[in-house]
Amino acid sequence: MTTQEELSMAGEFDCALDAAKCAISRQEDKEAFRILKEISDPNSDFVSQSRITKVFASLDCGLLDLKPIRIALLASTTVDHFADLLRFWLALEGFAASIWIAPYDTVAATVLDEGSKLYTLRPDITWLFLTYRDVRIRSNPNNAVSIGKSIDDLVFEYKKLWNKIQSNLHCVVIHNNADVPAEDAFGNFARQVAWTRRNVLHRYNLALGDAAHAGVVIFDIDHIASTLGRSRWTDWRYWYHSKHPCSLEAHGALAFRSARLISSIRGQAKKCLVVDLDNTLWGGVIGDDGLSGIGLGNDAAGEPFLDFQRYLLALKERGIILAVCSKNDESIAKEPFQAHPDMRLRLSDIAVFQANWENKVDNIREISRMLNVGLNAMVFVDDNPAERGLVRQLLPMVAVPDLPEDPSRYVQAIDSHCYFETIAFSTEDRDRANYYGGNAARTELLASFSEMNDYLKSLEMVSAQGNTDPFNLPRMAQLINKSNQFHLTGTRFSESELRDRSAQPNFAVRYFKLADKFGDNGLISVVVLDASNKQLIVETWVMSCRVLGRTMEEFICNDMIEIARRRGCTSILGRYVPSGKNKLVAQLYERLGFSLVAADQGTTTWQLTLKRGLDKLNTFVAPTDQFEQASLKHV
Amino acid sequence: MTARLTKVFRETFNDNSIELQDETTAKDIMEWDSLNHIVLVFAVEREFGLSLNAAEIGSLENVGEMLNLLMTKATR
Repeated sequence: MTTQEELSMAGEFDCALDAAKCAISRQEDKEAFRILKEISDPNSDFVSQSRITKVFASLDCGLLDLKPIRIALLASTTVDHFADLLRFWLALEGFAASIWIAPYDTVAATVLDEGSKLYTLRPDITWLFLTYRDVRIRSNPNNAVSIGKSIDDLVFEYKKLWNKIQSNLHCVVIHNNADVPAEDAFGNFARQVAWTRRNVLHRYNLALGDAAHAGVVIFDIDHIASTLGRSRWTDWRYWYHSKHPCSLEAHGALAFRSARLISSIRGQAKKCLVVDLDNTLWGGVIGDDGLSGIGLGNDAAGEPFLDFQRYLLALKERGIILAVCSKNDESIAKEPFQAHPDMRLRLSDIAVFQANWENKVDNIREISRMLNVGLNAMVFVDDNPAERGLVRQLLPMVAVPDLPEDPSRYVQAIDSHCYFETIAFSTEDRDRANYYGGNAARTELLASFSEMNDYLKSLEMVSAQGNTDPFNLPRMAQLINKSNQFHLTGTRFSESELRDRSAQPNFAVRYFKLADKFGDNGLISVVVLDASNKQLIVETWVMSCRVLGRTMEEFICNDMIEIARRRGCTSILGRYVPSGKNKLVAQLYERLGFSLVAADQGTTTWQLTLKRGLDKLNTFVAPTDQFEQASLKHV
Repeated sequence: MTARLTKVFRETFNDNSIELQDETTAKDIMEWDSLNHIVLVFAVEREFGLSLNAAEIGSLENVGEMLNLLMTKATR
């Protein structure tokens, strides 16, 4: 970049910042926030980011529709500047963060002292913000034998801190691993000597990752350091002067990645990637260039596309749903998937394949509808800037990354956005993309059946239900915290809270699984029932929208009636609390035969009296005893 | 040089009314605390193309000292 260009960009930045300030003075805080969002870039320099943060701090966050989140930062370094940037990046993720910074270098003491502010603050996230400097293990030849034990001991100490926090607070713990410094007395040879600092820290990082149980997230600052480059990550001057954990230049990227991680902890990671075909999955245009003419294969022009497909396949294998949205004739668009020898993606990897000549906005809406995945959980990847612009404008909730012109940088471009952060990986995640594939097939089948009931019957659905157990608990908590649409009361539970609930005799915490002839949908619904009184209160009811309208709701309601009767309750009480996203279920209780007993500011309360001879609701889902056999049959 | 430094101060503290004198110290600018001092030094380093050492970062308590240092170290 020439100095001239730099100057003009700086000028644009200043102008935008001034525009944001003007908007604030006109009390148009939302507009100001929009401008700040536009000029924000995780990789921009610290000075620019600080200036954005300053202007952001003068905004009235109350006007921005942000969800509150409380974070406790326990650090052995100066994290004030990091916290300032984090607040801004979290706002871009939709959160109004209040961040409490524990007194400098009192990490363990703050955790161990139950009288510390940590425990009165009751944060949603407790963050042990450590660096390699906190890994106080002597690395020298005298220690060679005992190093393994020293590492285990230190990890065990941290494990005790996590347990201490989680036995007193319902919060997620984030714990930084060690950012291994570039400098090492042994230089290249360090890897071949067990006790060198480089090896000790790497072994420590492995041990820490292994030790982290549910509810503990290791924040991989070592990975961030290597992504940025360790020379950019480190600035010793600001360590000596003010004990900053890393260079100020690295703070922006650090805050951005933190915000994405926290967003994922709160269930807001992206779930689906919608991809274009021509010049995105392969070089050239299949309709024009034909099967043998497209760029895909083992030469410099074709290899980048192969690798991009491999990357998408890896995403799919960890549970990200892939969909295609392309302006093409469907049969032509599918040809490479069926007949090109170098194609990595197969049609079976694509959950929904939209190839037609309609506009992409409608097609993405349709994909969202068919998959029951919200538009705000979708990423749209297209080489054509015009298509990206259209989608950005009409569907602002869809993430649309810029794609470089050179396909060799596609993977990097998408990966750098950290769209698909996660804090857990289960077999359900792995199989999710396949569930969705089956789901799309179901919708197509639906169109060919005139009678809904015939369709449902033909699905041969069977459900297993049960009470909380350690095996299903993580997925249950995940479902409660990720569900927005089919969520009657909007309550959120951490794993430990859910475990507590189910341990209390008055509560019943139930899960439901569903299998059908297209495959196993896995654990798709959770209810939390309170039978403290003569009324069974439905405290929480979430269900995956994938199985909506399949009479699963009726099946679950029947299960509740059964439980209410067994516990001697005479009625069931359900509440609907509007959250802005759960309109879908506003009339659910009415549909299930409940009567309205109270309405207050949108919140409605519904009652089902358990009279003698009350009929069970009609459902096409068969109960658990047939499940084993059926699910085996369906696998 | 004073004009450029003024610009850096105004941007850092988000305050266009700041006027600098040699005697101006942290006491005269409300926002100039130890945390903002770091942001300020960082912005000065970038504007004038220099790199201060850890001891110098902490020693720049007033504008006069800052200008003196810039006279000898600035590269642009």
